[in-house]
Amino acid sequence: MSVTGTLKTTSAGFQWSAWLKSNSIPLFILAFLIAFPFIVGQMTGSSPYGEVRGERFIMRGASVRWQSVLIEIFILGILTMSYNLLFGFTGVISFGHALFFGSAGYILGLSLEYVAIDTSLGLALGVTLGILFCGLMGLLVGAATLRLKGVYFAIFTLAVAEMFYIFASRWQLTRAEDGFAISALPAWIDPAQSRLNFYYIALVLFALTFLFIKRLVHSPTGAVLKAIRENEDRAQTLGFDTLRYKLFAIVASAMLAGVAGLLQVILNKKVGPELLSIDYTVNPLLMTIIGGIGTLWGPIVGSSSLFMLDIFLRDSQFTVGGITVNMANIWGLLLGSIFIAAVMVFPRGIVGTSQQLWLRLRAKGAESPPKLHGAPPDQ
Amino acid sequence: MRSSRNSWLTVVVLFAALIVLALLSANSLGSFGITILSGLFQGMLLFLVASGLSIVFGLMDVLNLAQGAYFMIGAYVAYDIQHAGGLIDVTAAIPDPNIRFVFAVIGAILVGAGLGMLLERGLLRPLYSRPIFQLVLTFGFSLVLIEIVKAVWSTTPYSWTEMFGIREGFFELFGQRFSTYRLFVVGAGFALIIVIGLLLQRTRTGIIIRAGVEDREMVQALGINIKMIFTLVFTLGCAVAALGGAIAAPFLGASITLGNAFLLQAVAVVVLGGMGSYGGTAVASILVGLAISVAQDVAIGTNFAALSSITPMLLLVLVLLLRPSGLFGSSR
Repeated sequence: MSVTGTLKTTSAGFQWSAWLKSNSIPLFILAFLIAFPFIVGQMTGSSPYGEVRGERFIMRGASVRWQSVLIEIFILGILTMSYNLLFGFTGVISFGHALFFGSAGYILGLSLEYVAIDTSLGLALGVTLGILFCGLMGLLVGAATLRLKGVYFAIFTLAVAEMFYIFASRWQLTRAEDGFAISALPAWIDPAQSRLNFYYIALVLFALTFLFIKRLVHSPTGAVLKAIRENEDRAQTLGFDTLRYKLFAIVASAMLAGVAGLLQVILNKKVGPELLSIDYTVNPLLMTIIGGIGTLWGPIVGSSSLFMLDIFLRDSQFTVGGITVNMANIWGLLLGSIFIAAVMVFPRGIVGTSQQLWLRLRAKGAESPPKLHGAPPDQ
Repeated sequence: MRSSRNSWLTVVVLFAALIVLALLSANSLGSFGITILSGLFQGMLLFLVASGLSIVFGLMDVLNLAQGAYFMIGAYVAYDIQHAGGLIDVTAAIPDPNIRFVFAVIGAILVGAGLGMLLERGLLRPLYSRPIFQLVLTFGFSLVLIEIVKAVWSTTPYSWTEMFGIREGFFELFGQRFSTYRLFVVGAGFALIIVIGLLLQRTRTGIIIRAGVEDREMVQALGINIKMIFTLVFTLGCAVAALGGAIAAPFLGASITLGNAFLLQAVAVVVLGGMGSYGGTAVASILVGLAISVAQDVAIGTNFAALSSITPMLLLVLVLLLRPSGLFGSSR
């Protein structure tokens, strides 16, 4: 340990540039995302803070609109990354991820609604309780059912999530089907008053989630998680208490999904049973698979590409031979075809398959295929 | 042997509890009868979706998320054939609505089987080595099917208007009027349970299918073309789902949301019965159907509306906590 420590300090400059080089793509993306509101603002001539109306800012203009698009991508990204932690790295399929996403959102909404003394207090309480509740639910569901094999666990989580969904859509406290709008938020986070602040908050959480998962995957714990994915019996035989590792994975994943749920509620300023609906389980599942299961970048690529596709294509229309086709009408058809095509063309997801191709190309160029043949799909 | 006795014991206890609950909440023998009959009716509809799901999952490890969409297609096709002014207008050729209904059901089965074969042959076949991707594929296919239905029949839900003999009929028991059609569906469901059961137990193909559920590679090693069997089973599963949609349509009508409403519950039923166990699926369907109907009764009494929709999931959670591989699943 001490040797590597001195090496690091003596050649700090070299390490720094190597680190920059090996992380150039994520750093570039991060820099771009930080500058994004201002770039769009420059390009379209709109202020990233919104339009000034007397004392206040009105959230209007291209830059502000684009910020909310990106915020939604960050939220979906966090949710999908949390799903991938469980599904891609640990090999546990959960059909109840919406449970964590939605219940955190509901808790935040309820605490903002009922802690009327001070909105900051309500926010702090909601965020803390929401995340704690997600962790606790993850622990309970996991402890009760992780002994169940594959599909049984998946369906058990589905059943629990559905029960929450039905309760939330029937219960008087949660205002049943309609849900309720959040009337007051502290001004510094309220997306209707200062979208840019909220944009950076979401960006920071998004980046932190990515770093956390990256760090985790390359840690000894991450290695055990991957071992469980590959062969749980063998991991157990090697002396690892696999149940404990799986519990850790589900709790971490649940809390991250809770963070996404909190952000979603703050962005929309509305709580409703749709937060708990199966859509928020199916979407991250599909986005993970299409992006690349068990890859670091897969969930981000999957969620952002599908969401962008949604934004760009859904409202567009085009004319073929005198017939105007409105994309919104055939959206389901298009989405279904994309799913089918993605599964056929990218057998390991977009990221997984392109990595494979890249490795194969490089192997051909370097003429050393045996070394790279068994390259792991992670990274 | 011991485990199977435990399974049956659990089932008997659950049934007894449900019947006692139904008796307690019913205020007359007639309303008790209605509860039981509507429970059996719902159970049979569930079985028609779940049976295909169960056999396909047992044999091929494919969780077919499009199964609900086949149910929906069946309902639409049956509606279309039965009513005038649809895609296929046979009201002039076959004026008798009873006979037309028979044709409507047959038409639905054929369309379901055709689409099922298309999905298996064309899309699913390259994916057998990648089971998780089949989820995405079948889900995508169900979206496409829903879109096709929207394009052909528009998004407005249809309610069944063209009546026929047994749909209108009633019979009296304990001073209460019962719909003959419900009884017909229950009877048809039981008949189907027995027919498919016999098919699996007694025929050569059935024996191959059951052997495939146990050990797919061994069956292949014995020189049997398992891919043919896969296609057959998948087609059959989709056809049964479409049949379910067709005979449910006179009661539930035809709508876009029909399929997914049943799919979740059907998945729950399959798991409740135990993966790969056909008998388990049949028993679990009836159990869940009865539970829903009893819970509806209790819910009216106690003013707790969420109870009836929550019941299937609650039952599933309880059973899985007690028996981790479902009622009749082997603990592999």
